[in-house]
Amino acid sequence: MTDCVHRDPATPSPFLDGDPEREHLRPAAQRRTFLKVAGAGGAALTFSAALGAGRAAAGTRPAMTNRAYVIVVDGCRPDEIDSGLMPNLQALRAGGLHFPQGRSLPIMETIPNHVMMMTGVRPDRNGVPANAIYDRTLGAERTLELPTDLKATTLMTLARKHGMTAGSVLSKEYLYGIFGRNATYRWEPGPIVPVSGHAPDPFTMDAALSIVEEFDPHLVFVNLGDVDRVGHTDLTGGLSLELLRRTALVATDLQVKRFVDMLKATGRWARSLVVVLADHSMDWSLPHKVVSLSSPFDADPLLTGKVAIAQNGGANLVYWTGPASQRQAGVDRIVAIAKAQRGVLGVYDRARVPSLRLGPNAGDVVVYCRAGWRFSDPHVLANPIPGNHGHPTTEPIPFFLAGGHPAVPRGRTSPLVATTVDVTPTVARFLGLPFPTGRWAWDGRSLLG
Amino acid sequence: MLAGSAVAGAAAVATDPFDAPEAGAAAASPYFQHGVASGDPLPDRVVLWTRVTPQRDATPGSGRGGNVTVEWQVATDTRFRHLAARGTYRTGPAADHTVKIDATGLRPGTRYVYRFLFQGVASPVGRTRTAPAATAVPERVRLGVVSCANLQAGYFHAYRHLAQRDDLDAILHLGDYLYEYGPGEYGLGQDNVDVRPHVPAREMVSLADYRQRHAQYKQDPDLQWLHSKYPFIVTWDDHETTNDAWRDGAENHQPATEGDWATRRARAHRAYDEWMPVRMNGTAALGDGTRLFRSLRFGRLAELSMLDLRTYRDEQVAHPAVDARVSDPARTITGRAQLDWLKTALGTTQVQWKLVGNPVMIAPVTFAQLPTELLDPVNDVTHLLPRDGSPYNVDQWDGYTDDRRELFAHIRDRGIRDTVFVTGDIHSGWAADLPYDVATYPLGRSAGVEFVASSVTSNNLKDILGVPPRTGSVAVESAIRLANRHVRYLDFDSHGYSVLDVTSARVQMDWYVTGPRDQRGAGSTHAVSFQTLAGTNTISRAAGPVGGR
Repeated sequence: MTDCVHRDPATPSPFLDGDPEREHLRPAAQRRTFLKVAGAGGAALTFSAALGAGRAAAGTRPAMTNRAYVIVVDGCRPDEIDSGLMPNLQALRAGGLHFPQGRSLPIMETIPNHVMMMTGVRPDRNGVPANAIYDRTLGAERTLELPTDLKATTLMTLARKHGMTAGSVLSKEYLYGIFGRNATYRWEPGPIVPVSGHAPDPFTMDAALSIVEEFDPHLVFVNLGDVDRVGHTDLTGGLSLELLRRTALVATDLQVKRFVDMLKATGRWARSLVVVLADHSMDWSLPHKVVSLSSPFDADPLLTGKVAIAQNGGANLVYWTGPASQRQAGVDRIVAIAKAQRGVLGVYDRARVPSLRLGPNAGDVVVYCRAGWRFSDPHVLANPIPGNHGHPTTEPIPFFLAGGHPAVPRGRTSPLVATTVDVTPTVARFLGLPFPTGRWAWDGRSLLG
Repeated sequence: MLAGSAVAGAAAVATDPFDAPEAGAAAASPYFQHGVASGDPLPDRVVLWTRVTPQRDATPGSGRGGNVTVEWQVATDTRFRHLAARGTYRTGPAADHTVKIDATGLRPGTRYVYRFLFQGVASPVGRTRTAPAATAVPERVRLGVVSCANLQAGYFHAYRHLAQRDDLDAILHLGDYLYEYGPGEYGLGQDNVDVRPHVPAREMVSLADYRQRHAQYKQDPDLQWLHSKYPFIVTWDDHETTNDAWRDGAENHQPATEGDWATRRARAHRAYDEWMPVRMNGTAALGDGTRLFRSLRFGRLAELSMLDLRTYRDEQVAHPAVDARVSDPARTITGRAQLDWLKTALGTTQVQWKLVGNPVMIAPVTFAQLPTELLDPVNDVTHLLPRDGSPYNVDQWDGYTDDRRELFAHIRDRGIRDTVFVTGDIHSGWAADLPYDVATYPLGRSAGVEFVASSVTSNNLKDILGVPPRTGSVAVESAIRLANRHVRYLDFDSHGYSVLDVTSARVQMDWYVTGPRDQRGAGSTHAVSFQTLAGTNTISRAAGPVGGR
């Protein structure tokens, strides 16, 4: 059942898109409607939708019948697919095109890699290099979660421009935030787990099933957050036990199975491409394997009071905040001091390492920690989280193409690298969307050739 | 001058010169008694090798015979009507009349035939294959894998059975291609029976000794056949020089009677450069350097990094049970430059599989659970297990743990996947995960896997014990596997060879066992197959062997 309703005012959203009470503030052409749908679990689910959005219709172009689903198992390690705990994902991978060289891209965090998936371009072009940056205007560290933070056109917007519809079912509040009104149909995550800021996978999957069955968008972008969120807090991870994490793997695997079962049961499988990947993987550290850069920076006469740090788990972004005339001297000192710290793997003067493709939002210096370590600033107790990512050891990700459409290779493995930035061109090729050219060309490539 | 068949008659071999060893045998031409060989295939070039005997007394190591010019040809057809490359090469006694050229201008991923011509007489025809283009995505790469071929200990059945196959891209030789001992030393079994006595009849020490020994091995018909059929990718271990070599000496080198170590090693390296189809210091030229560690790439599928673990290593510790120097960061098995090079090679994302041609085992192995009375025979097989009850083989990476720690930390820090060490040296077959933390494994993760090929002929545990296969060794294998949970397979009894098959989905190693070493023409049977699936960094059992004849 679907009808237009207003959202429960008892659960106000920080985002305009999720707040029907403020919808009248928009120009009429941009107003959204809210759609209430009976979820798979019986609960009512609320989606926001573009004004006038209807159900997707099969058009005259052949690709209009195709359906693409991008499922992100947030924070999953590639070896976990083979752990015996994720038999459904393993079988799905075996039936499709597997990329053992699947890689996340810097910074190996959730927001930038989801943005790369949906824009096809690197952070120096999409404006989103990390989860957290130091905002020089605000003079404070903040999360990149605002729609205005995203500077590139998304695949969802492109699809809509060409007469298709797109859905987003993103379990994390900040993902819902940054993608704003890009999708035709958007699920606002809920219920939200306190502290973690995400909706548990069963609720997310309920929404994914409903959005597909009710609106049948050409493209649906799904983020399942449990594996990541449980991994972050798993205190047994540093001891290689990963007890909580293993439980989450089993549960999330079953949620993916629900989605595939639905596609098959509703006849969608034969015209589907299912892209399954993670945004980054996960690494665990023990409490004594902590790197804190604030203290050595503060102890240096040149740097004290002139440095800001944006923490991203296994990666620190360091910003020179002193006079511009002293910037390079300050950066050189930051690099030298950071390199000397135990547990630091690599230190990069960002402007001198253009291959990082991070852009100015990432600050002046990028510092990675070693596997089994984490950053904790401003002091060693500031980051008690055992599971982290952002550093190079968390680059490998599961990445495969599945689905019943004839364009999807069956039972193949590719030795080529596949990265998060390849998702957009791959899905675009499948849906028959035009590829931008020249300065707008995507950085990624289609994995379907 | 020797009599020989004229080149016009070479067309007689045009049907298929590779059907049987006799067809390509060097006996067909006295000028080319040591056969032909190719090696180190790159996308546009391959090393071609032969030795010319321009006159009857110009024997290897003799210094006799003048400088001569040899013509070489590379073609796409066995009648040599379509030449892809050709040239001439000037050689003489300074090079022991060896001929070694880098044939360039070839097409990637292409099968060629080649031959040499002297005085209008053609050599046996060799077959080779260039590597795929750097950007190619080959479906598979398949390598024969061998190590530890002691001529005195028996016939080289492994080489013959590999030559009988028609599905390989190259042969990976992991060292101990020849042995230094004189007759009566290190022969077959407990009694050191010389199935075929070494030439010269003494331990090789002089340059002439090394050259003559190489020449003797190159006249073995099985080895000659295999060389003519596939390009070799080789590295040396210790016996190409002498036993348990290290940077400044060796267990089997006595300066008082055998002279300066550096001089002896330079002779060994000189002869190796002359007699092996390998690029040293990146070239086929002789005498321009002895750097053997190098990479060979197979498109986007795999890169093979060949290690030299003898030239730069520190001396093995004498008493590892009480000597903390096994973990001393100042001690090295690779040398700084080689370790940095290897770390860079493993870090590439240009290829999926990072294969490492590794002369000695890298998997940590403790022998602590072994009964004391079995330590000696195990030590005999594995070379250097000290008789003081030490639980480690310190001639392997276990004796230089800081290099291993640094390498594994690099793999983990950089998120490197799909690293496979392919190893020889210890006369036994192994398949093992490479845990970051042995103590807690299989909790925790693995840096990669290791496949170890058995010996072609060199003695193994049952030979030392003097017992039938699968009797005395079984308990030892069980004890070692019990104490080393990352070891998935261990066979201390068999001689033979392996086939390494690389696809994007997995790397599989098949172990083949050959028959009695002292019987000509012994057979070969498939023993077992293990694999590592892409991305897992662990070993699992494979269904069965790949390919066939």
